[in-house]
Amino acid sequence: MLKRIGVVRQLEFEEFYRSDRDVCLRAVLAGVGDRQLAEDLVAEAFTRAWMSWPKVGRHPAPRAWIVRTALNVRVSWWRRRRREVGLDDAVEIEDVPAGERELDPTLLAVLRQLPRRQREVIVFRVFLDLDTAATARVLGIAQGTVTAHLSRAVTTLRGHFVIEENLEVGP
Amino acid sequence: MKDHDAVLDVMKDSLGAVTMHTPIEQIVAAGRARRRRRRLAGGVASAAVVAGLAVAVTSYGSPSPSPGVGASAAGGVHIRAAAYTVDSNPDGTVRVTWDKAKYFEDHAGLQSALRQAGFPVLIKVGEFCRGPQDDGTLGPGGVGEGVDRVMKGERSADGKVTFVFTPSAMPAGTQLFIGYLTPAQQAEGGRLGSVERLVPTEVPLTCTTDVPPHS
Repeated sequence: MLKRIGVVRQLEFEEFYRSDRDVCLRAVLAGVGDRQLAEDLVAEAFTRAWMSWPKVGRHPAPRAWIVRTALNVRVSWWRRRRREVGLDDAVEIEDVPAGERELDPTLLAVLRQLPRRQREVIVFRVFLDLDTAATARVLGIAQGTVTAHLSRAVTTLRGHFVIEENLEVGP
Repeated sequence: MKDHDAVLDVMKDSLGAVTMHTPIEQIVAAGRARRRRRRLAGGVASAAVVAGLAVAVTSYGSPSPSPGVGASAAGGVHIRAAAYTVDSNPDGTVRVTWDKAKYFEDHAGLQSALRQAGFPVLIKVGEFCRGPQDDGTLGPGGVGEGVDRVMKGERSADGKVTFVFTPSAMPAGTQLFIGYLTPAQQAEGGRLGSVERLVPTEVPLTCTTDVPPHS
């Protein structure tokens, strides 16, 4: 009986992974601006979710749990790396999988340059489709602050896309 | 000038082709290995406090050779399949045979059987994985460093391969990776039939379809 429960839980988790992994990856990628780091963080978050699946599986928003965990792990990894090798927040060379070569490196650079709170608002409000109230709850900030961060982020991103459009049109 | 929503839509679309490449098996195996280690650590600590020493007992009723990864948790596993057999030995090792001609048919079943027997393993066909600290170097026959401590084998005249796996010799946080070459890869790779190396369980692996160089 216990074995059957274990099998059912694993099937549930595998279904969750298959259905939500890509959405979570894109959200975390928007949050960290680094393709390989995002993959590592999401894999780590899903591993932790599997270890605590009886709890995470009942979470009202397991997808948000994954992304929140991945971003928290990122902070601890970054701190550890900074202690170990003394690097600043240098841009890493990415190992982009085949089929994703069209990933816009300039957009990733722009995302990396956004303040952390603005990136987090984009992650939850835009990539996870949470409404303003839910985003505010996840991030522990006021709804008005969510709106303000999103507005500032859009202003910065709009500048990037306008430049891209001008480059495409040419002189 | 793009409006607010259009900017966000374009940004979202820009990342729309990005997909996860980490296999579910790797996630599940890593989580399971961590849970097992926690249980072992907790069990050893509790036993040490209560009795002053820890004794691992297998389902055979005889002492385990060592309280290594999976050794006491495995119990007696005896599995017969068309492509392989898996048997737990009383000394904690696991005896495995597989048919070279059939292993493509059920490598997932073999992986599952070995894990049930307490031996952490990741098996793939046509794909070769390594950990972030691994420089990719392989010895003769496509075997990586340390594999000989956890896996010893021989091939009999009828083509069956007999291996003895030793779970207790597996370093903590590590599992055996076995990558079988597809027929097309074998045609390119000479006599190599498979790649074996030890890989970490807790970090994402780098996997490629390129056959690793070997001496």
